[in-house]
Amino acid sequence: MTEPTDNLEALMRQALAGDKRAYADLLRATSHFLRPYLAKRINSASEVDDLLQEILISIHKARHTYDGMRPYKPWAYAIAKFRLQDHLRSHYADHLQQAVELSEVEETLSEPVTESEISYESISGEIQKLPPKQAAILELMHREGYTAKEVAEKIGMKESAVKVAAHRAYKLLRKVLER
Amino acid sequence: MNDIEHLVEDLVRDAAPVKPAPHPFRLSLVWLACSAAYIVVSLAISGLRPDLMHKFHQFWFDAELAALLLIFVTTTLSAAALSFPDLHQMRRLALAPAIAFALFVVVIFLSWRANQPPPPLPVHSFECTISITLSSILPAVWTFYTMRRYASTHQRWAGMTALLSAFSVGALWLRLYELNDSIVHVIEWHYLPMLGIGLVGWWLGKALLKW
Repeated sequence: MTEPTDNLEALMRQALAGDKRAYADLLRATSHFLRPYLAKRINSASEVDDLLQEILISIHKARHTYDGMRPYKPWAYAIAKFRLQDHLRSHYADHLQQAVELSEVEETLSEPVTESEISYESISGEIQKLPPKQAAILELMHREGYTAKEVAEKIGMKESAVKVAAHRAYKLLRKVLER
Repeated sequence: MNDIEHLVEDLVRDAAPVKPAPHPFRLSLVWLACSAAYIVVSLAISGLRPDLMHKFHQFWFDAELAALLLIFVTTTLSAAALSFPDLHQMRRLALAPAIAFALFVVVIFLSWRANQPPPPLPVHSFECTISITLSSILPAVWTFYTMRRYASTHQRWAGMTALLSAFSVGALWLRLYELNDSIVHVIEWHYLPMLGIGLVGWWLGKALLKW
């Protein structure tokens, strides 16, 4: 029997004709060569898995656009690239939204915290009830006066992760203080 | 890895024999034939411009029609290729309208230079754009409807070429029907709106060709 990765075009032709075994071999071979392609571009293994599943579903939906007469890999990569771009677009859109929210929260919260109304000390009780990492970040930023970048270096996190954690902490605090 | 294996099993269970989509050449041939029939029917209803035989003896009128025809053919071919995720591995075919449009601009420019002394402008103006747009709706709807059966990974480009192809059908019809010798009018109200139509297609492609 032909090795699954040897002749993907032939496998697809058989799959289009209704050969389920050939189709299973083809999808496995496809996930095999697409995984490294995605892993190079996305850090999180779970995201790679999710995206790979989405790509396999897209390949399934679009299989009628492949006739088995032209190379299979460029066709599969075209779909993979398309879904990857979609994924990255939504991923960065989420980050951008978070960044906007963060700046809004900082604008609304920084004044009372640094000025007279609310100081770090006055809400330190509430801060200590936050998850330990978030509490530590707020302590470093608002009691010690470190910037997000300095906090990131100090506790070995990425600057963006520090900002996101701080943002979540602000949100929790705001909820508590608004009660 | 287990998730992938489960998904493969699900997809395989769901897989029935599938008839492959036609080759883009065949697909575009069907579109071209239907559009040509549509132009013939439209002209049969509206009538031909009375001086058409005389106009066919004018070089720049013929060149303009040939260039417009080239846009119609290349945008149709390109839309067909762009309906496939990998452009059916014919990237050059997808880019063909760029050459056609460049040639069209040159022809229109030379035609405008040759149109001396300029004939009087017709009394109507935007009505031509509206007529072309209305006559393009049917070919546009049909092209988009067909394209949605496939799987474009270049939805914006696909939408743009599809709409330009449909608009060129309307433009061809009007050029053969409208009694008008002013190339300035033709540029302003027949061809410049193509830019706007291209943008509409760019937007429509993203909205309608999702899969």
